[in-house]
Amino acid sequence: MTSIIPASPKTVLQLDGLSRRRAGRQAVQDLSLTLHAGQVMGLLGVNGAGKSTTLSMIAGALRPDTGGIRLNGEDFLEHPGLARKHIGWLPERAPVWAELSVNEHLDAHGRLRGLHGAALRAARTAIIERLELQPLARRLAGVLSQGQRQRLGLACALLHHPALLVLDEPANALDPVQVAALRTLIREQSAAGTAVILSTHLLAEVTAVCDRVAILHEGGLRHDGPVHSDDHAALERTFFEIAMNGNNSAARAA
Amino acid sequence: MSAAFVSPVAVTRLEWRRLLVRPLAWVLAALTLAWLAWNFTLLLGSFLAGQIQRAGLPDGPGFTDLVAVPLLGQLAQLAFLVVPLLTMSMIAGDRRNGTLPLLFATGVPASRIVLGKYLAVLGWLLLWLALTLAMPLALTHATHLDWGKLAAATLGLGLMLATLGAVGMACSAFASHPAIAAAAALVIALALWGVNLGAQMAGINGGVINWLAMSTHLQPLLRGLVSSTDIVWFLLLTVLALALATRRLNADRERG
Repeated sequence: MTSIIPASPKTVLQLDGLSRRRAGRQAVQDLSLTLHAGQVMGLLGVNGAGKSTTLSMIAGALRPDTGGIRLNGEDFLEHPGLARKHIGWLPERAPVWAELSVNEHLDAHGRLRGLHGAALRAARTAIIERLELQPLARRLAGVLSQGQRQRLGLACALLHHPALLVLDEPANALDPVQVAALRTLIREQSAAGTAVILSTHLLAEVTAVCDRVAILHEGGLRHDGPVHSDDHAALERTFFEIAMNGNNSAARAA
Repeated sequence: MSAAFVSPVAVTRLEWRRLLVRPLAWVLAALTLAWLAWNFTLLLGSFLAGQIQRAGLPDGPGFTDLVAVPLLGQLAQLAFLVVPLLTMSMIAGDRRNGTLPLLFATGVPASRIVLGKYLAVLGWLLLWLALTLAMPLALTHATHLDWGKLAAATLGLGLMLATLGAVGMACSAFASHPAIAAAAALVIALALWGVNLGAQMAGINGGVINWLAMSTHLQPLLRGLVSSTDIVWFLLLTVLALALATRRLNADRERG
């Protein structure tokens, strides 16, 4: 007999009152949200809204001043080593070690994430094929275009099959074909149970791949709700209202 | 392999690879080894020319005193320039490129990032020392080496390189730009070497100021005198510099 009660989704990420000051101002303030396995959350906000700071804290590259982060139910701030296996991060502008080739990047990231030997080679081959990086495999990262760097950064983030994928402006510098491929990849990851959080300036990106959207303004969470592919106009209204007024009157009215 | 060792080894492998593909490391190695080889031939020529005069001296200086140890002394002088150039980008460069957060985000603690990077630099420096040492060792069959003295001098040079490497790492951790890191490491290394020059000119040969100077601890080793005090001095300074670099890296993670 099959149960008719759906299994509660596994919580991958839980932010609890996250705050962080940066460059003399409150970059993120009292941010709380939860992300389940397979969910794709878009993080929207104008420049300086706190998106990159939030993602850096989630990725473990930056410690919050106050608040907590739980990753797969464990205290991430207490055990930052959890990032090694559970998080894949593509930072903004995809920084690379210019003197290393694409293959060497993947090997280095794999080893840092605990992959070795045959497992590392298999993971590298698979991700190179999946992201169609074969022609670039032996090329130095320093000579790659920004779009190619984005793809390399994405490959490094996905190499170890993380439970949480953190993408900061992943569509930056990608051509339309690559953007479409990125969307397919995100959907694949979501279907495989990976929780994805991505920041973007592009509302179309959110409606195309996200099933939830969070809008940040001046470091605070102003909106958190579901999003549907035919919701572009509604999302646009909400976003601009928050961006202009710092508030979501629709949500207030509701 | 336990998880505790995986991260520093992974960082070391990454940094070692980066060192090997950078032209700077090769240029430094080629220029300094060529310079040392040239000086080796000069020292050897001078040694051979004076062989007849020294034949009458029962305890006269030998090949080790006149060729091997002076060659290591020249390596020590070059190290003041080479080590800052080699270490300057190790952390400051990563910070400027934005690749330091990539390492943080792998969950590797700051101490292991520093240790991993340091071991890569130390590996290069010890290889540099070994290649220099190979010059006098190549003549082992044709001359008499004082193995004890040579071992003590090699230990001294190894400790000196390890300490300068750690100081360079600390400077790279604190500086915002690699060039500033190199300049700071050079100044600190020279200050450590000559901190007691004034005291020595005044005829003071003891005290804290002399203990602080690197020359006080290296010269006995180059003469073949191994003392635990000297070894501890180098190790203390190395640990202190690496601890400072770790502290700064932790602050980077805190401050962003």
